[in-house]
Amino acid sequence: MSNDFYQVSILPFAGIIIKICRAYTDSQEDFEDYYQEVCLQIWRSRDNFREQCLWSTWVYRVSLNVCLTLLKKRKSNGQTYFTSDVLPDVRITENRAFEDESLNQLYVAIRQLSEIDRALILLYLEEKSYQEIADILGTNAGNIGVRVNRIKERLKKILDEKFN
Amino acid sequence: MKNSIEVIWKEGFLNERSLVAPKINDLYNQKSKDLVDKMERMYRINMIALAIMAIGFPIMYCFLDFIWEGVATSILLLLTLGYSIRQKRSAKTLDHGATSFDYLKSFDRSLHDALSRGEKILRFSYPLYFLIAMSTIWSAWNKGILASKMHQKFPDLVYIRNVPLFVLIIVGLATVLMFYFSDRIYRWDVRLMYGRVFDKLKETIAEMENLKRG
Repeated sequence: MSNDFYQVSILPFAGIIIKICRAYTDSQEDFEDYYQEVCLQIWRSRDNFREQCLWSTWVYRVSLNVCLTLLKKRKSNGQTYFTSDVLPDVRITENRAFEDESLNQLYVAIRQLSEIDRALILLYLEEKSYQEIADILGTNAGNIGVRVNRIKERLKKILDEKFN
Repeated sequence: MKNSIEVIWKEGFLNERSLVAPKINDLYNQKSKDLVDKMERMYRINMIALAIMAIGFPIMYCFLDFIWEGVATSILLLLTLGYSIRQKRSAKTLDHGATSFDYLKSFDRSLHDALSRGEKILRFSYPLYFLIAMSTIWSAWNKGILASKMHQKFPDLVYIRNVPLFVLIIVGLATVLMFYFSDRIYRWDVRLMYGRVFDKLKETIAEMENLKRG
């Protein structure tokens, strides 16, 4: 991967990649692995980009696909992430990836969602339209709204429990 | 919770200074390690299988009353196992501190060296395995009633120790052919076992070369 490609096509969208990778990893080491793998896959798949969508949409799509694949691989290798309802407190306090504490807690809550729900809520929070979310995830836009509301309620419940 | 998740997200990232992309370095470190680990794991399984067969075959042959064939097979398997252990030890001398690309390249080189050395050794082993198998069949033949039936049915055939001469010629020819094609049989054998990992290794190296070019 040339430095130019990284500087021009990846670095301006690093925020997207970081936000997504953070939602699928619970350690700095894993986060860096995922980030690198996403960058590599974006570079690998650059020829498949047909300009039918924005480059940023493409970056979202590749990032989510890579994270979902890596998560699946790790699970099949017996390395599981915390997806249960009860997340050990030690993890919550240790994993302070961001300076903003509320944001950290939100991420901890997001990590408790299923893989697809995580993707959905991330795209929603990034202010993607339901149609864009559907395009990125390859689903029907009709169901997105209902699903997003359910996820938001769940996140609110998790955060309320945490803060109260 | 004071704010909605949308507000937490927006404000959180608005003030966030830690959105710093990690350095892209040692991109293939984990990948190359996984690949070599996989290969080594398969190699280890192969060696365990050889050891089990080296013990199991003589016992099995002993029950069938073909002790010598069993011992010969076991010796051959043990020799192959010894050779495999030596190969594995030589692979350990690879520089693990090298860059992923250099490490994979040297791993690939050492694999090719091992394969070409293996070809030379297996050139003799395959025909020997074949002859042992034939010897087992002959022993069974001689012990059974088939040999006498054959004599009765085809009295005009030339026999050497109860085995028709034409069968001996076919076996001889097959042994020569096996000796001649042993390198191909070996490559096919190796491919059957490690083919996918070899392809993956080749693919990764090619990709890294491509990556270097940019």
